[in-house]
Amino acid sequence: MTGFLVRRLGQSVIVVVGVTIITFLLTRLLPGGVARAILGSRASPVEIAQFNHDNGLDLAIWQQYLVYINQLVHGNLGFSYRLNESVAGLLSDHLPKTIILLGISTLVALAIAVPLGVMQAVRRNKIEDYSLTTLTFVLYSMPPFWIALILIKWFAINLNMLPPQGPQGPISTYLDPVEASALVLPVMALALVTIALFSRYMRSSMLDNLVQDYVRTARAKGVSTAGVLYKHVLRNALIPIVTLLGLSLPGIFGGALITEAVFNYPGMGLLFWDSAQTRDYPVLLGVTIVVALATVVGNLLADFFYAVVDPRVRITE
Amino acid sequence: MSQQQLADIKERAAGTGPLLEVRDLVKHFPVRGGLLQRAVAWVKAVDGVTFDIKRGETLGLVGESGSGKSTVARTILRLIPPTSGEVLLEGKSVFKASPSQMKKLRRDMQIIFQDPYGSLNPRMSVGEIIGEGLLVHGVGSPREREATVDRLLEVVGLRGQHRGRFPHEFSGGQRQRIGIARALALTPKIVIADEPVSALDVSIQSQILNLLSDLQRDFNLTYLFVAHNMAVVEQVSDRIAVMYLGKIVEVGPAEDVCKDPKHPYAKALISAVPVADPDVRRERVVLKGDIPSPINPPSGCHFRTRCPIATDRCAVEEPLLRPVGKDRVAACHYA
Repeated sequence: MTGFLVRRLGQSVIVVVGVTIITFLLTRLLPGGVARAILGSRASPVEIAQFNHDNGLDLAIWQQYLVYINQLVHGNLGFSYRLNESVAGLLSDHLPKTIILLGISTLVALAIAVPLGVMQAVRRNKIEDYSLTTLTFVLYSMPPFWIALILIKWFAINLNMLPPQGPQGPISTYLDPVEASALVLPVMALALVTIALFSRYMRSSMLDNLVQDYVRTARAKGVSTAGVLYKHVLRNALIPIVTLLGLSLPGIFGGALITEAVFNYPGMGLLFWDSAQTRDYPVLLGVTIVVALATVVGNLLADFFYAVVDPRVRITE
Repeated sequence: MSQQQLADIKERAAGTGPLLEVRDLVKHFPVRGGLLQRAVAWVKAVDGVTFDIKRGETLGLVGESGSGKSTVARTILRLIPPTSGEVLLEGKSVFKASPSQMKKLRRDMQIIFQDPYGSLNPRMSVGEIIGEGLLVHGVGSPREREATVDRLLEVVGLRGQHRGRFPHEFSGGQRQRIGIARALALTPKIVIADEPVSALDVSIQSQILNLLSDLQRDFNLTYLFVAHNMAVVEQVSDRIAVMYLGKIVEVGPAEDVCKDPKHPYAKALISAVPVADPDVRRERVVLKGDIPSPINPPSGCHFRTRCPIATDRCAVEEPLLRPVGKDRVAACHYA
């Protein structure tokens, strides 16, 4: 197990380094420089040259990259030109908000999608199954920003029940009823898409396991229907969901970016969105590295838990 | 009340009647089609099967693939709902039992499945698999259950230390032993063995067959032994019932049926058993074609399309089981 972890960690480092190279190149290849974005369209060529020199932007790309990596390994994620604040500081402010949004919506999605998938599998090809299949396909095919806009239209504008934008204050205020209610729509918008995805997987995973021979064995022992469903079918059906969770992390983050932008929720997604608009490269890079790390760690955890929940998977040295 | 029914009641009261009675068992599976998934046809997997099994006896149920043997086994246990018919265990109806009565009945009738890989839950340890029956029926304390599991593992030739291991750590033969230990955990009166050795290597088959007969002696078990291999069935059975296309075509003592089969289908099955002597020359009855579709079985005698001695009468008149010797019945006009 340790050998496996060390090997996977090594691979993860390579992946993260690769991500920094690609993102770095991509940001530098964009037309229009940082200087234009910061100094405005009326800045003179002299001013721009001075800005580029001051910030090391006149060096060759590989030199710029080495400078950046050197900072990175010393824990310095760079400095935002636009916000005049360190990227690390920005992330420590915005990242927890995104984690809260993603965490709550993923938990809500699981809590709804798992029973939904179980119910659909048990009542397969009946009216309940068909209705839920239709509903989940509709939700799954809607772009996240569209779902967010519909929710705002219904619950914030027509019904006037919930605020149309996410909580704006610091996390410590989230327990306040007003701020908490502001979190409901963003969480719903993200969860609805994930519910659709997870419940489809859950349904097919349950169907796979319902026809297994050991389910028949359990019934022959005299285990009750609920016992068979929970102990024999559900416990085996949840195994692929562990992998799915790890794999869907980047997708969920992508959804969060859009959702945060629509709800003006000051998380990492909104930070990324605003930085992309203003070519704030250090922030873009910082966010990308954090997401790459989260994805790599998520997959590592999925592999690890896979081995924990499935006795057949024993990672050998 | 007829004389026969009176006699049955007396037999049961004396505890000398058959342990398991299967009466006119029918199981038809719907074939669904069309937009609304309505039943457009029926697969007549089991089409009126009647037999008895006496206490301590082994009844071998043979037939080729698709003859309905496994469906009989599973329907008797109500693992699949019957279409009609009746099954009595010690005179108590299995099909009419309420859920709580059914749970009690399950203790008395257990099954060993064909596939030793798929029939054990991969996420449960061997101890949990064997002990779960005891747990759901509330037998003993946790410590007593553990002791029972250890004892069962040793009875089937494994060790008590294997309790904590998982099914994938065992070979096919060992897994089938676990399946047997699991079936025995609730001290059943009858064990239905549904092709218990078909998935195993030939060298392992005889070990498992010997284990099954040792257990029968030690635990006073009654077996319904389902298999397609005539040689295996002959070795373990007291009586043999031959099935073809959802119906029983011949029943009799194992030795008699194997030496002198009466039904042409039984003759064909027995002539297909290989003999370990290259000099023996015997008459081989080779059947033409495949088993017909159970959706639309042939009229009259189901076997007539492949029968070497079929006549016009067989297409019109369905042969019923009739006595053809001491304790023997066969369903053929010409037996």
